[in-house]
Amino acid sequence: MAISEKEIKTLARLARLEFSEEETKKFVPEFEEIINFADSINQQVEGDTASIREVTTRIATWDELREDEVKPSLPSEKITSNVHSDNGYFAVRRVVK
Amino acid sequence: MKYQLVSGLETHVELATATKIFCGCTTAFGGAPNTRCCPVCTGQPGALPILNKRVVEFAIRAGLATHCTINTTTHLDRKNYCYPDLPKAYQISQFDKPLCEHGYVELESGKRIGITRIHIEEDAGKLVHESGFTFIDYNRGGVPLIEIVSEPDISSPEEAREYVEKLQLIMRYIGVSDCKMQEGSMRCDVNISLMPVGSTKFGTRTEIKNMNSLSYIEKAMAYEYSRQAEILDNGGEVVQATMRYDEHTGETSVMRTKEDAQDYRYFPEPDILTVVIPEEKVEEIRASLPELPTDKLKRYVNELRINPANAQLLYKYKAVCDFVEKAISLGAGVKNTVNLTVGTLYSKLETEDDKERFNLPVTAEEMAKLVKLADEGKINITLAQKTLSKMAEEGKPVSAYISESDLAGVDEGELEGICKKAVESNPQAVADFKAGKEKAIFALYGFIKKATQGKADIKKADAILRQLIMK
Repeated sequence: MAISEKEIKTLARLARLEFSEEETKKFVPEFEEIINFADSINQQVEGDTASIREVTTRIATWDELREDEVKPSLPSEKITSNVHSDNGYFAVRRVVK
Repeated sequence: MKYQLVSGLETHVELATATKIFCGCTTAFGGAPNTRCCPVCTGQPGALPILNKRVVEFAIRAGLATHCTINTTTHLDRKNYCYPDLPKAYQISQFDKPLCEHGYVELESGKRIGITRIHIEEDAGKLVHESGFTFIDYNRGGVPLIEIVSEPDISSPEEAREYVEKLQLIMRYIGVSDCKMQEGSMRCDVNISLMPVGSTKFGTRTEIKNMNSLSYIEKAMAYEYSRQAEILDNGGEVVQATMRYDEHTGETSVMRTKEDAQDYRYFPEPDILTVVIPEEKVEEIRASLPELPTDKLKRYVNELRINPANAQLLYKYKAVCDFVEKAISLGAGVKNTVNLTVGTLYSKLETEDDKERFNLPVTAEEMAKLVKLADEGKINITLAQKTLSKMAEEGKPVSAYISESDLAGVDEGELEGICKKAVESNPQAVADFKAGKEKAIFALYGFIKKATQGKADIKKADAILRQLIMK
């Protein structure tokens, strides 16, 4: 499967990554290699996955759903222990102008 | 040129469950920031979300109440986007297998607004932007929502308002949400496009995000209609865009256009199992649904013979309806129950919230006792009103205001005696009445009211008086 520079740029934007032109060019063959590797799985299964049954996750029965009962939350100091916090809030660099 | 408005709404409704959609944290409104959070709802690596059973139940209730079909095999999907109101950088929602599809909501006119789908998802956290920072509170993150997507069947701001009001009423009736727009437990995104009258080809649409009041929805739609009409009149093209509405200026402005539209890269949520809902469960929920608002309104007018204006006033508040219906079931007459409720109790239920909860210390049992006294003519309607008014203020039973001796005081024999006296001591009024002055009889009413301290049934007295005078 062929990957274009445009696709690399789109993915970078969605993942909030910034690449230089050089990096973008370098990633094209690398990405192609990754995609081809995944694609090789298709080739392994007698060249075709169309005949293979889709493996979905196991199915939850009604009783396996969670009952609507309140459990204690974590103390807020714990919730914010690994982040920059201010008065109990997570504080990040302003995201809107 | 004349244009036809074409609109569809996406309505988010917060479900009134005790806990969040994927964890046991409480959903109670408010609380100090980040005190109602756990590893699941703050998206810590390795935390495993487990779907709340009641969320599924409530969403099915909402679906059945809006005539949807229920997809009994359903799964959740990841909707990816980078914004700090979501700690995981994705929202768990539903994409290709929503729980409910193909329903409708009926307007007063009989017109049906189609419901495309109802799906379940998690709410995002709350952001506060201040100086150089964005402060984040994840208490609301993970609170369960349903998103109700309508067909583009709405053709005016008034219809949009009625549709939202109807949805609100239905959700409250079936107990899945309080739908308080000012608190954010109900919010709408409004899609609008215009096409020349008579055309069937939709124009390019814009979407106004996050409307949290009925009047703003109407105003924003009206504004957006004229904005688009002006563009089209000048030969221009409407640009597909996401808009925001400014409540202060009453104008809409562009947030983003199609070029930078989001690419959500939906895929099936691997952390949550596909859910298979037993058919019996769906039927059990269907059987547990209460009478729906439109059906109640029809029954009030057609079967209980409540006048349409009063029926309208009553049916909007389920708690009031429950009160009235219980009083009637205890033997109170429909007419007096309704008139006393709308006439006397509504003035005591000042806010919408008061009516919503029937926030008065009057029980249906006491109401029934009072109304029966009025029905049987043992007290007149003025005294019933006064008594009810006091009951609503003081929370005491009927017996605190009306004693057995009071009631005994207006039996028929005595009333006749008082009427005779009234006729004898008011010769002028009697003469005037005989001469055709209908209003002269009021002087006699006054005499009787005074003599019985307002306890006499004036209707009965009237009949006796007329007999006496005409003799």
